Amino acid sequence: MTTALLEYKNVHKIFNQNMVLKSINLIIEPGMVVGLLGKNGAGKTTLLRSALGLIEIDTGEVFTLGANPTQLNTELKSQVGYVPQQAFGYEGFSIREALDLHSSFYCEWDNSLEQDWLKRFELNPDDMVENLSIGQRQALALIMAMAYRPKLLILDEPVASLDPIARREFMLDLFDLSLESGSGVIFSTHITSDIERVATHVALVKDGEVKLFNELDELKSSIRKVNFNPTQTINLSQFDILHQTTNAAIISGYQNEQIPDALHISSLSLEQLFVELHA
Amino acid sequence: MLEFINVNPSSGDPIYKQLHEQIVRLIVGGQIQAGEELPSVRKIAEYFTVNPMTVSRAIGMLVDQGWLERRRGQPTRVAEKQPQSMQQGHALLHEGADQLIQQAKQLGVSIDELIEILSNRWEQ
Repeated sequence: MTTALLEYKNVHKIFNQNMVLKSINLIIEPGMVVGLLGKNGAGKTTLLRSALGLIEIDTGEVFTLGANPTQLNTELKSQVGYVPQQAFGYEGFSIREALDLHSSFYCEWDNSLEQDWLKRFELNPDDMVENLSIGQRQALALIMAMAYRPKLLILDEPVASLDPIARREFMLDLFDLSLESGSGVIFSTHITSDIERVATHVALVKDGEVKLFNELDELKSSIRKVNFNPTQTINLSQFDILHQTTNAAIISGYQNEQIPDALHISSLSLEQLFVELHA
Repeated sequence: MLEFINVNPSSGDPIYKQLHEQIVRLIVGGQIQAGEELPSVRKIAEYFTVNPMTVSRAIGMLVDQGWLERRRGQPTRVAEKQPQSMQQGHALLHEGADQLIQQAKQLGVSIDELIEILSNRWEQ
């Protein structure tokens, strides 16, 4: 029995003869905010959906709140919040009707959070859901996933259509949720600066594998780009080499030491790291 | 005091490190006085839109190092007696110095030439 909110143990998934998820090992504990980074098609959505039992894995195990995600009981389901990449549902309802119905499924519902968010996103309760803009639908989906203070929040590009102000407000609410309720969050996004603000951990997915999973602070402190002369043989054996080209290497495990023959050693933003690892 | 601090989430430096360094600078430079109260961790986190845990980490370090004082039931404040401000002032310059030295070496500039450059530009 695990205390982790979400755990992947050696998970594999194949779709149409393609290995879409490979050897996934990941643990999310309360208080963690995990930013999931990866190119489109890298496997992020599959990863997230397998935590909800929406996709069945082929080998390995997933534990969602300690249970098999395909067999979550009502109690456990009420502790998981999910926002999919494309918001859907409640067409034919007004916002008010949709929220009334949705909130009726949950014992806990933070009415003041709901009211705050409606105001903040300028959502008129009488508007019909199918007439909302993408951004508004996304905002509604966020309200619906967060208002019952879930223990585990799974977000698939939740803010892609939100403006910087709305994203900022969302981030502040994420802090409240994860810290005050001891919840855990995993969210995928392409906005690396959001991850840099909000996340405690970063998972980088490439070709179905988790290439990197670390505390964000640790990542920034220990990862460096080292430039060197291609004609000289440089010794980087004391480091973990994440990526190497003829004149540069991305290393991990750096502790401010001197590197002989290095022309330049630089730290990287998450965006730069992402680009370099895919070069 | 928060308006004097500039946090760049996309910098190669972790946010807690940026906060820590800049608060030390403000204390050493006298822009924030001994006894002055700090905003709460939550307020600081909201101001910069960063995870409160990273703010907490920075504040914790500053308290451990004696720059800030925590008192039960009261806001954290700048300590009355600070750890060797002069030495800290020097230490803050180390990173900038190291970068300058690295650049000088890349460009083939000698230490004597570098000192001359620094003297000249100091006068400007």
